[in-house]
Amino acid sequence: MSTVSADIISQIEQLNRQYISALDSLDMTAWLNCFNKKGRYTFTSEENFRRNMPIAFMLDDCYERLQDRVIQVVDIQSDSTEHYQTRHFTQLMAVSALDNGQYQAEFNYSIYYTQHDTNQTLILCVGRYMDVVDISDSVASFIERKAVTDTNVLPRYVAYPV
Amino acid sequence: MTKQSNVDPTMLWPKKYNEVPKEVFERDELWPIELETIFYGEEWHPIVHRAEIPNPGDYKAAELGEMPIFAVHGEDGEIRVFQNTCTHRGTSLITESSGNKKELECPYHRWLFNLEGELIGCPNSRDYAPGFDRKNFGLAKLRLEEFCGLFFVTMSDKTPPLKEYLGENFYEPLSRILGGDGRLKLIGYQKVMYDCNWKAYCDNDGYHAPLLHKAFSLLNWQGGKGVQNVSENGHLSFESELKIPEDITALEDGSILDFKGTTTSTGSIVQMQFPVTVYSKHMDMLNIRYAFPKGPKGIEVHYAYFSHEDDDEEMVAHRIRQSSNLLGPCGLISMEDASVFSRIDKGNKTPGNAIFQKGVEDEHTLSFTVKQNDESGNLPRWEHYRKRMGFERSES
Repeated sequence: MSTVSADIISQIEQLNRQYISALDSLDMTAWLNCFNKKGRYTFTSEENFRRNMPIAFMLDDCYERLQDRVIQVVDIQSDSTEHYQTRHFTQLMAVSALDNGQYQAEFNYSIYYTQHDTNQTLILCVGRYMDVVDISDSVASFIERKAVTDTNVLPRYVAYPV
Repeated sequence: MTKQSNVDPTMLWPKKYNEVPKEVFERDELWPIELETIFYGEEWHPIVHRAEIPNPGDYKAAELGEMPIFAVHGEDGEIRVFQNTCTHRGTSLITESSGNKKELECPYHRWLFNLEGELIGCPNSRDYAPGFDRKNFGLAKLRLEEFCGLFFVTMSDKTPPLKEYLGENFYEPLSRILGGDGRLKLIGYQKVMYDCNWKAYCDNDGYHAPLLHKAFSLLNWQGGKGVQNVSENGHLSFESELKIPEDITALEDGSILDFKGTTTSTGSIVQMQFPVTVYSKHMDMLNIRYAFPKGPKGIEVHYAYFSHEDDDEEMVAHRIRQSSNLLGPCGLISMEDASVFSRIDKGNKTPGNAIFQKGVEDEHTLSFTVKQNDESGNLPRWEHYRKRMGFERSES
């Protein structure tokens, strides 16, 4: 594993900030823009991950699925959802270089949510992001973001990506 | 049951069969009685499919009412379900939701049980009470029956045999959800807590009007012909023809809705087994929803998804991406259901009755004839519940 420069780490952290900022402001277009055209997103439980079971809570395995995630949140489910405000807190745990300007990164995350109808703040889930990041022309984007949640039993239905 | 004497006598059930008092969702004191008369009574409860614990030593923890239990695959190939408690001083034996063990050892006094539940070791037993006999201290086993690889338990000796209890109108479609022959493979779980009383969950997850599903209308996807079968003991089985438009323009990746099965005539099956279990086969998704009420408020639902042993790689991959994205607590289709569970629970804190309308031809008679989209299919379950709980129906 080669050493990763401070510049690269900074770009990966910047991408992560764009990502969580997009979700905390529920800007799904900005969320989509964090991924490149090879992008994939998975939200799964630690139990499924540990036992090598492929079912996930969300499984966007191609760019079109990522686009459909935006459609689902914005157009399909918005009238039935009990909406909530999230705050994502993350900490970079590891970065390593792969080939071709790609990097593997891992962040811990904890996500609080405040449901609009109760105004109480609770924990939505806690876990880690396992990422593959592409950096081309000093622009970082996700090839893959996999959110593996320790919270094997979600405290409510989850309406937006984490 | 002695505990029934605790029921508030003012809890009179409405005279009309299509009315359910909203307070039945909200009164905490009903829960101990529901435990006694329903969860520990004459009902069968699915606990595990063989595909979830396919190898000797595999186990899965669960709950029946408030009682911790676990299913384990024995060295002899048999699956058994035991109370999760050491027969000595009561320590729980299983602390993980699933895993594999060669034997079951209690850490407290090192009592050792084999996978068949026999007590095979207990240190210092020469100092035990005179009446102690190791043979009498095997793990407490629950009455068990199997259907297509799915194992059901009951706490009562009086519960009718499983097939009789389910009825043919229920178990025949169930066999198709379970792959026809029960030769399934587990592909994963989605687990979630819904913020509602368990009855609000089972009143709405098993069947509800397709009007809820904005996804259906957006995809120009409305159900074809179908039937709904209800039974006197509260089970409901819904089956419909699958109608998916050829060209799905609302999504960038319409392949998520592909149906790769062989016949659309039985493309969609949803079943609600009293008291709390839902089974479904939508398109190519094979799904059991094990549900565990957490007292009077909150129900934990474990969506278990399966593929079939004969599936090729492509079919398994299709089932995985369809199941992950359409059903469960984040699914394109069923997240809308999930939102209704808790919104109904909130709304039920108001006085009066919830009133069923569609399909009710006579409010004063309980009908078992139910058309495809009628909500009256829920009413036999409410009548079964009322009787189990010993509530009187009002005269006026």
